[in-house]
Amino acid sequence: MRFTDAVEFALASLRKRRLRTLLTASGVMIGIGALVSMISFGKGMQKNVTEAFKASDLFTTLMVMPGGADVPSRDPARPRRPAETAGRAGAVLDDAAVDEISQIPGVRTAYPDVSFPALIALEGEEEFRLVQVVPAAVAASNAVRVGWGRAYASDDEEGVVVSRSLARRLGTDEPAAAVGKTLRITSVSIDLGELASLDLAGLFSGKGLPVAREVYDFPIVGVTEITAFGGGPSPVQNDVIIPPGTARRIKRLPITSIWDLFRLRDGRLGYSAASVKLGSLRDLEPVKSRVSEMGFTTFALADQFDEITKAFYFMDMILAAVGMIAIVVAALGIVNTMVMSILERFREIGVMKAVGAGDGDIRRIFFFESGTIGLLGGAAGCVLGWAVSLVINRVVNFYMARQGMPDIDYFAFPFWIFLGAVGFSLLVSLVSGIYPARRAARVDPVIALRHD
Amino acid sequence: MNAPPIIQTRSLAKTYLIGDVRVAALEDVTLAVAEGRFMAVTGASGSGKSTLLNLLGGLDTPSAGTIEVDGALVSAMNREALARYRRFGAGMIFQSFNLVPARTALENVELPLVFSNVDKKERKRRAAELLEKVGLAHRANHRPSQLSGGEQQRVAVARALANGPRLLLADEPTGNLDSRTSREIVGLLAELNRGRRLTVVMVSHEESLVREYAHDVVRLRDGRIVGTESRA
Repeated sequence: MRFTDAVEFALASLRKRRLRTLLTASGVMIGIGALVSMISFGKGMQKNVTEAFKASDLFTTLMVMPGGADVPSRDPARPRRPAETAGRAGAVLDDAAVDEISQIPGVRTAYPDVSFPALIALEGEEEFRLVQVVPAAVAASNAVRVGWGRAYASDDEEGVVVSRSLARRLGTDEPAAAVGKTLRITSVSIDLGELASLDLAGLFSGKGLPVAREVYDFPIVGVTEITAFGGGPSPVQNDVIIPPGTARRIKRLPITSIWDLFRLRDGRLGYSAASVKLGSLRDLEPVKSRVSEMGFTTFALADQFDEITKAFYFMDMILAAVGMIAIVVAALGIVNTMVMSILERFREIGVMKAVGAGDGDIRRIFFFESGTIGLLGGAAGCVLGWAVSLVINRVVNFYMARQGMPDIDYFAFPFWIFLGAVGFSLLVSLVSGIYPARRAARVDPVIALRHD
Repeated sequence: MNAPPIIQTRSLAKTYLIGDVRVAALEDVTLAVAEGRFMAVTGASGSGKSTLLNLLGGLDTPSAGTIEVDGALVSAMNREALARYRRFGAGMIFQSFNLVPARTALENVELPLVFSNVDKKERKRRAAELLEKVGLAHRANHRPSQLSGGEQQRVAVARALANGPRLLLADEPTGNLDSRTSREIVGLLAELNRGRRLTVVMVSHEESLVREYAHDVVRLRDGRIVGTESRA
């Protein structure tokens, strides 16, 4: 029997049982639709995160920590990654060291991670926040996305950049309106005069620390956008950023936590970390080795990206497994339909055999029938999965827009998803057709022709 | 009976297992049919007529004995060879016509040609020619349900001849027809037998038709041959 004849036979018998074909194909459609939307969601997440990483210059950012510092690791059994260069204890990450790092070829800027707690006030509304010190060069880069106004122009400009969410919390819903307003930063410092006369007994008897409050006013020059996923693990994460020159004039505690005091060495208090901006990813390895020669611990997110990719594979697999449940149900539906079809066409199979159909011919007809159901369901499933994703995307973005979040495509549809889905659907339907096709081929014509 | 036999069976037997009981449907049937003859097989119901025909048509396989058709040992064929034999070697018609209800007369006649890989155009041409031969050219696009019993049996005859077999096996072809139509159908078989040197084996219990048309008559009782008659 020719290929085209087998296709024609299959289509004719599917047409004859139109409703059942439609219902069975619908089962496949739902399964494939679920799979397509699941996988496209996984791919969408991966795409968004990857792009956020790329856009925020994280791949060309190197974190430098003082010698002996713990390197963040995803593996709890090995908090320190041996592949990374753990610096020797004793190297202090101070201004001189940061300066030296910034002289290494390939380094665009190096700046210490400095932040201090402060009371932030805008037109009467106030909140406690960490203020981060970020050089103007970095504030103007992709690491900080200024959506309204501008980044400060120099390291000494009297101006701050705030996040949109902070502006909102402080009562300014329209971010453009926040630009130009005055932000009041109240910092705390130790009153040295009082510290001298303080005795320990007094310190612990509840008199309190001898702290002084300092109040500074700065104009808001820019407001940052809220990026999807918080912009990824960006080196600039705080709601208020301020240029270093200006920050130097603010009287404040030199520490953000008590832990900083443990790092005191030879009376010198280094920074807890510094960020190094590289010119390109190619500079990463040479700069890393130079920095570790200086005795510091380095950490590059680019190195971690493989693990993030692995995590996404894992997520894809879980999503696909959920989608597979529907596929298995659909496959059973195909088997059921085809077995029913054999019972109904028992006599017809007998007739075909009596006039010379071989086992292979009968198998082929049934195989093509289930294959056609798979193709139909697969194609429809692609449309369904795509449509459902579109609706979900709309709905989610509608609610996210109320939170001030930008529109994001949560689903990604590379063309291979559709090709793969139709191919997979065909494969599943053919596998589902194996048993019915074999059973049909085994029909005994003598019994089938006696059958009424 | 001077022509060489086209069918030769030797000690043919078929037993069925019904529950735990062995039932012999056919026992020790040795039979020769010369080419170009019209043979009738008669007997009461349950005498093994249909079993014999199914064996000769390659639909069933014997429990013992051999069947040789046109030099080929049908009783030793595997499933695929049997399918080929049914396709090209022997055409069959049945009491209940066994047409495919969803297909037109023409498409039913085309069916054996589909399985012998004849292309569509040639298939249509040959099927139309065969329908004309059985006098049904004007009913080609009717479905079986729109045809009378006699017309359906004519379609079945045309279908049985589609791949040009030298042997036509008819299993009570008149069982569902009135006497006038029965005579027409058996007349058609006799005509094909004469005109094309087509060997016909027909199972029937209508003595008058058998006497009128058959060259040879084989009588079966309880699965055994109890008598043969021939006229020249």
